[in-house]
Amino acid sequence: MPNNNMTDVTIQQLKKTYLFNGLPDDVLSILSNSIVHRRLSKEEILFRKGDAGDSLFMIGEGWVKIVTEDALGSQLTLNQCGPGEAVGEMSLFDQAPRSAGVVALSDVTLLELKRDAFLELIDQRPDVALLVIRGISSRLRGSTTYIEKAIEWSRKMAEGDFSFIEQTQSRDLLGDANQEDRAKQFLSEFFKMARNVSEREEKLKQQVEKLTLQIDEARRKQEFDELTSSDFFANLKEQAKKLREQRLDKK
Amino acid sequence: MGKIVSIHSFRGGTGKSNTTANLAAQVALRGKRVGVVDTDIQSPGIHVLFGLDEKKMGKTINDYLHGKCSIGEVAFSVGEYAADSDGRAQLAGKKLWLFPSSIKGRDISQILREGYDVNKLNEGLQTLMKELELDYLFIDTHPGLNEETLLSIAISDILLLILRPDNQDFQGTAVTVDIARSLDVPNLLLMVNKAVPGKYDYDDLKAQVEKTFGAPLTSILPLNFEIADNASKDLFSLRFPDHEWSKGLLQVTEAVLSVQ
Repeated sequence: MPNNNMTDVTIQQLKKTYLFNGLPDDVLSILSNSIVHRRLSKEEILFRKGDAGDSLFMIGEGWVKIVTEDALGSQLTLNQCGPGEAVGEMSLFDQAPRSAGVVALSDVTLLELKRDAFLELIDQRPDVALLVIRGISSRLRGSTTYIEKAIEWSRKMAEGDFSFIEQTQSRDLLGDANQEDRAKQFLSEFFKMARNVSEREEKLKQQVEKLTLQIDEARRKQEFDELTSSDFFANLKEQAKKLREQRLDKK
Repeated sequence: MGKIVSIHSFRGGTGKSNTTANLAAQVALRGKRVGVVDTDIQSPGIHVLFGLDEKKMGKTINDYLHGKCSIGEVAFSVGEYAADSDGRAQLAGKKLWLFPSSIKGRDISQILREGYDVNKLNEGLQTLMKELELDYLFIDTHPGLNEETLLSIAISDILLLILRPDNQDFQGTAVTVDIARSLDVPNLLLMVNKAVPGKYDYDDLKAQVEKTFGAPLTSILPLNFEIADNASKDLFSLRFPDHEWSKGLLQVTEAVLSVQ
């Protein structure tokens, strides 16, 4: 009985994962036999970047963070995943080392599915492969929208057109609920960068256009002296003075 | 007594003739008696703005300077012949006289070769003021600071200096301001023309110009491609009164009229 109960719990949990929520109960039942339940304590490392990877983990309860290291070796959080989400799903299809590390943010329950078990299931039920692929591709589709957005903004920036900054609403940056945090974060970082570039350009423009009156005083004096040193000028000055006086008299 | 207003710029291409013609027209529109003299004998041009061409042109300033006629015979009454364009038509019946320079190559080269008596020009201008009872006599000068320009500056009650917002114009204007002060010109006004719209902080530009030259900046007028399109065929501020350039010109007009 406890085993049956356990199977039911596993099936319920699998139904909540984005990869397997479309599978019929009989398939889930077979799948549940291959699932290994695991627990992580807060801050425990599930795997490190570069580790050999041959299983997928679905999160039952709790949260994990996906981490990598930047060029200087400091930890960079790429994303956070919670209940229903999966980590390490790429290892079901390729055998490459882990592309990022996973660390528990809280106490976490996990459902582990080994690659071999998954392949065995697909052997029995090829239709499962299609459903899983559908799940993954809907995720991919979500990421192409932000890639398209980033490409569009990059093109505009290259042309010096920053109008999209004004036109972008905050909800555009939040994206829809299905979109990965990573995508949202990328977009929001990109947006911040665009705004900074635009501000810097604006400041630069102001520097160029703030006209500073520059007068060469030595040249100014020299030209004045040349013009006023002639007899013509002395005479003109005298005449102008007389003329003004005459006109004043008439007034 | 009327006032002599010289319009000058140290370098060419500042829009001096256009400004002079529009200014004179605006003042005439307000019912003043106005004369416009083209003393840019080397490169005359203002006549075109008043609709005067070679065929219509009678006696010129050149004829007067060479003793061939009196100054009064040179007068072309703009108000009587003005109906040929939308802008100028508004001047019909107004008291506005133009005293053009000859546009004949022969006359121009003769003046350049032989020069002329600056005193005679002065006498002529004084006669005009008196006989036509002018309220304002506008003098369109030749750029730079040659003798006839110095004379125009010397006899003016108001000197309007036009400059573009660039350092070459600032330098030349500085020298002109010094000369005008040395000649005791009582009223010095400045006008910036051909400012690229939105390119400068106008308040900052105005403050710098006024501080540097110690004279009021009457207005900053935008670079106006429509004026170029208008190709000096009409009086722009009369034809397009709502244009920013025209609004700027009205500010200059008010500044000139407010000089006591």
